Amino acid sequence: MMSPERWRKIKSLFDAAMEIEASGRGAFLDNNCDGDAVLRGEVRRLIDSFENAESFIEKPAAAEVASLILEPSETLKNGQRFAHYEIQRQIGVGGMGEVYLAQDENLDRKVAIKILNEQFGRDESNLQRFVREAKAASALNHPNILIIHEIGMSGETNYIVSEFVEGETLRGVISKLHSHPDRVTTLSEILDIAIQIAGALSAAHGAHIVHRDIKPENIIVRPDGYVKILDFGLAKLVEQKAVGFEASTVKLNETAKGVILGTVNYMSPEQAKGEKVDERTDIFSFGILIYEMIAGRTPFIGDSMSETFANLINAEPQPLLRFVSNVPDELQRIVGKSLRKNKGERYQTMKGLLADLKDLRENLAFDERLEKSHSSGDKNPTTLLHATTVDGVNQTGEANQNTTGQTKSKRSFVFAVFGIAIICALGLGYFYFFSDNATSNPNVRKSLAVLPFINASQDPNADYLADGVTESIINNLSQLSGLRVMSRNSAFRFKDDQTDVKAIASKLGVETLVTGDIKQVGDKFVINVRLIDASDDSQIWGSQYVKTTADIIAAQNEIAQAVVQNLRVKLSNAEQQRLGKNYTENVEAWQLYQRGRFHTFKLTPPETNKGIGYFQQAIGLDPNYALAYAGLSDAYRSLAIGSEIDPAENFPKAIAAARKSIEIDDAISEGHTALAISLFWGEWNWTEAENQFKRALELNPNEVNAHLFYAHFLSNLGRHTDAITEVERAVELDPLFPFANALEGQFLNHAGRPDEALDQLQKTFELAPNFWMPHLFASSAYIDKGMYAEAIAEARKVRELSAAQTFSIALESYALAKSQKTNEAQNVLNELLKLSETRSIPATHIAMAYNGLGETDKALEWLEKGYAEHDPKMAFLKVEPKWSNLRNEPRFVNLMRRMNFE
Amino acid sequence: MKPHAEKTQEISRILQEWSDGRQNASDELMPLVYDELRRQAARYLRRERPGHTLQTTALIHETYLKLVDQRNVDWQNRAHFFGIAAQAMKRILVDYAKARHRHKRGGAAENLPIDEARFVASGEKSVDLVALDEALGRLAQLDSQQAQIVELKFFGGFTIDEIAETLRISPATVKREWNSAKAWLHGEIVN
Repeated sequence: MMSPERWRKIKSLFDAAMEIEASGRGAFLDNNCDGDAVLRGEVRRLIDSFENAESFIEKPAAAEVASLILEPSETLKNGQRFAHYEIQRQIGVGGMGEVYLAQDENLDRKVAIKILNEQFGRDESNLQRFVREAKAASALNHPNILIIHEIGMSGETNYIVSEFVEGETLRGVISKLHSHPDRVTTLSEILDIAIQIAGALSAAHGAHIVHRDIKPENIIVRPDGYVKILDFGLAKLVEQKAVGFEASTVKLNETAKGVILGTVNYMSPEQAKGEKVDERTDIFSFGILIYEMIAGRTPFIGDSMSETFANLINAEPQPLLRFVSNVPDELQRIVGKSLRKNKGERYQTMKGLLADLKDLRENLAFDERLEKSHSSGDKNPTTLLHATTVDGVNQTGEANQNTTGQTKSKRSFVFAVFGIAIICALGLGYFYFFSDNATSNPNVRKSLAVLPFINASQDPNADYLADGVTESIINNLSQLSGLRVMSRNSAFRFKDDQTDVKAIASKLGVETLVTGDIKQVGDKFVINVRLIDASDDSQIWGSQYVKTTADIIAAQNEIAQAVVQNLRVKLSNAEQQRLGKNYTENVEAWQLYQRGRFHTFKLTPPETNKGIGYFQQAIGLDPNYALAYAGLSDAYRSLAIGSEIDPAENFPKAIAAARKSIEIDDAISEGHTALAISLFWGEWNWTEAENQFKRALELNPNEVNAHLFYAHFLSNLGRHTDAITEVERAVELDPLFPFANALEGQFLNHAGRPDEALDQLQKTFELAPNFWMPHLFASSAYIDKGMYAEAIAEARKVRELSAAQTFSIALESYALAKSQKTNEAQNVLNELLKLSETRSIPATHIAMAYNGLGETDKALEWLEKGYAEHDPKMAFLKVEPKWSNLRNEPRFVNLMRRMNFE
Repeated sequence: MKPHAEKTQEISRILQEWSDGRQNASDELMPLVYDELRRQAARYLRRERPGHTLQTTALIHETYLKLVDQRNVDWQNRAHFFGIAAQAMKRILVDYAKARHRHKRGGAAENLPIDEARFVASGEKSVDLVALDEALGRLAQLDSQQAQIVELKFFGGFTIDEIAETLRISPATVKREWNSAKAWLHGEIVN
């Protein structure tokens, strides 16, 4: 243990060192530690620790902890029945009552139930008025107004049942916007929220409903950015009863100093003076909300309630520029006009205010396009820069030299440049704007790769989790049309890769990258995520998520949402819903599913069987886990095709699992894709397969497997042009996926374009030098070109790389036979036949070797066997050139007919 | 519960005894402050809806107004009281953290970071309150005033200026002492 004397010495050196520039500290310590290397080291460590500490313990521990340190007051218990609702848990306690999450047993949906404190229910006329207003607001059916299902009374208790909205209050959003020194507040985020609120209020005002209590606690922001306003009409009910709300009951006495101010901060002057309230009151409170979202504090707040009141009545709010260095003038004007003390000077209607906000958003978007076209960096004009000091108005946006780092000062600098860009634009900038329209179009798809999250735990068994989180985020994001997301396979090539992000991004051809790590600590996960602009390796956004196991699924959605938000990808409503979709609520089932995926991706029969086990366990825990059924289907199919094991048994299992997935949830593309693949490959049911592919691609136009196997399907049917288009789409989505690249080679060959096929396969060799598949296809292509020596060499290469593949043996025999080496060909065939005694060999392989040797009868006999066994290679019957000699054979024609080829 | 007047008298007496040098006076004061802080928080929550930022200083001030007869209190007693209140706040939070660990870990004594979203949000980096409490104990051995500054600032929510006023030292000193304390604690519990 260090002595107090020692600590004093270290501390005084630390204090002195902190007084001087960082670059001079090394020399300072050299000169002032009296040659005591240990002392020097200790001071150095303290300085480093300080540099790393940043916001550590800077904010009070209890800032938001009030509800945690109290025993909750719970009128209803978990599991208790209340009317026809089953209470699940309490989700909030407030001044008016308690709020519970409950299950509506009649309609089988989640609802929120607010139990009103008894004092609010006593005044019958008030209650009725509230009921009327609440119902009227809900009846507007506005997407941003909380839907009330029921207002009722059970015994003595008044309760309100509404839709259950997951999300956080605007209070939470504001504190997040302003609690991170490195976080950039984006104006577009703020405007997006404001416009939704204004839209809802405008609709309500249209129906003569005034909210009267607009404040951050009454607004919920869903993870997908959707805003819902709560408690229309409720303020009226409270007004009469709640102490401290109505101006006349508020005592402006000094003893109230230090009282936590609540609603007062959002009051209008007319409310404070006890005057009549109308629509314009909501406009004032709404103005306060926008102000607070930008500034991080309300405009009139004082040290005491009396000071706040005085400010509200007399003082003008400080300009927003005091808090943020680049607030658009127009926004300042809008807020100022909303916050006029005299109602007559304010916006007179919410509609007018809404229109101004929308115009502003549009103009900013225009400026941004203009700016982007002018220079291609990540300069973002709708990024608000926090002024460094509250005292000095920082209008110039000059570089800050504070300790929080370079990103900030860079952004300020960039903004200054942007100012110049605008001026230039007025003169000649339009040229750039119009001439470079393609890159500046906001509708151009942004490109992104999510690199495999690093398993930062010591436990290698947690690998599946890191992969699972990565994959879930990829899946969530890849369903969005505004974003081109690198598929799993390409992204996973960079697992454990130390290459710098710029190089990775250029290999993948993407502009942005998401990187992260995940660590399990007890029953918690700590997930760090960064969104990186690959052009200069700068961080666009970063965050740490600390989640309990139970929240791991929600965390992935949150991350995906945050990425979308920070890339400002425009989403359709359907996409918004899909983005927030959880495929299961059961965390254990999710983990089992991820383990299943992890093992099946290893593509060996024992691993696939392990995967099947995990999928089944996942389904055991959540019988409605559609995605797990799709995974199960993929695994069975993988046994049938890749591993050449019992196709007659495994295809039906794959089909059944896929059908189950669709039965549970028709909107998951993976189920349709899985069904389509097994249908055409295992049962030659081409018609239904095509419908399923189309459905899958309609649901998720970015699903690589759907494109790839649809291409396979088209190629097998001889629709070569379409096949090549589809496979190219798959390769575009997943450029480094060797499987897709190899298949493209095969399809080109089957399309009668062997030279292009060989070029493509050559590319695949380079991509994946030890992957057997492209060599197999190359061998096949060389045969079709009559280059038998090359074909034999490639076939032998396959055998070197993968002992499990037997098609290469058939090709080797075929090529030997065609190059007049009949004996050798026969020997290789015999080898294959011998193998078939100990393990199942696809019948088509043997048929092909016989066909090479000119033994047509035997070949047809074995093909017939292939038909009976549902040998997957039978699907190639129509387009494989090596069967051309049999096409006029009646038995072959008959076979083709039974396989539904025409 | 004791009648209010009796309680304020008792607290004033304890504070006076403390000023007079009775060392264990703070031990008597602690449970009273602890209870009152919780009561204030509860009262606050009944009045307002969840989601409000709870200002710890406001809570402590209100507790102070409630518990201490201000006519007979000098700055020293006031400082003592704030110190106690910050400690009480610390105890409330650390107790909560420990209880949560027990609950979650089925009784295991393992210390895990307390990183419920709320805690994280209050400081970006998650803070293991139990480890911080222990490290603060060690810091107090090295420099008790520094430990007190951390208690007042982090657990009490006081500003640098308020701490300077309470401890009767200059704000610059508070800031300096805070910086080295923070660096040391960060090194102790994070690295």
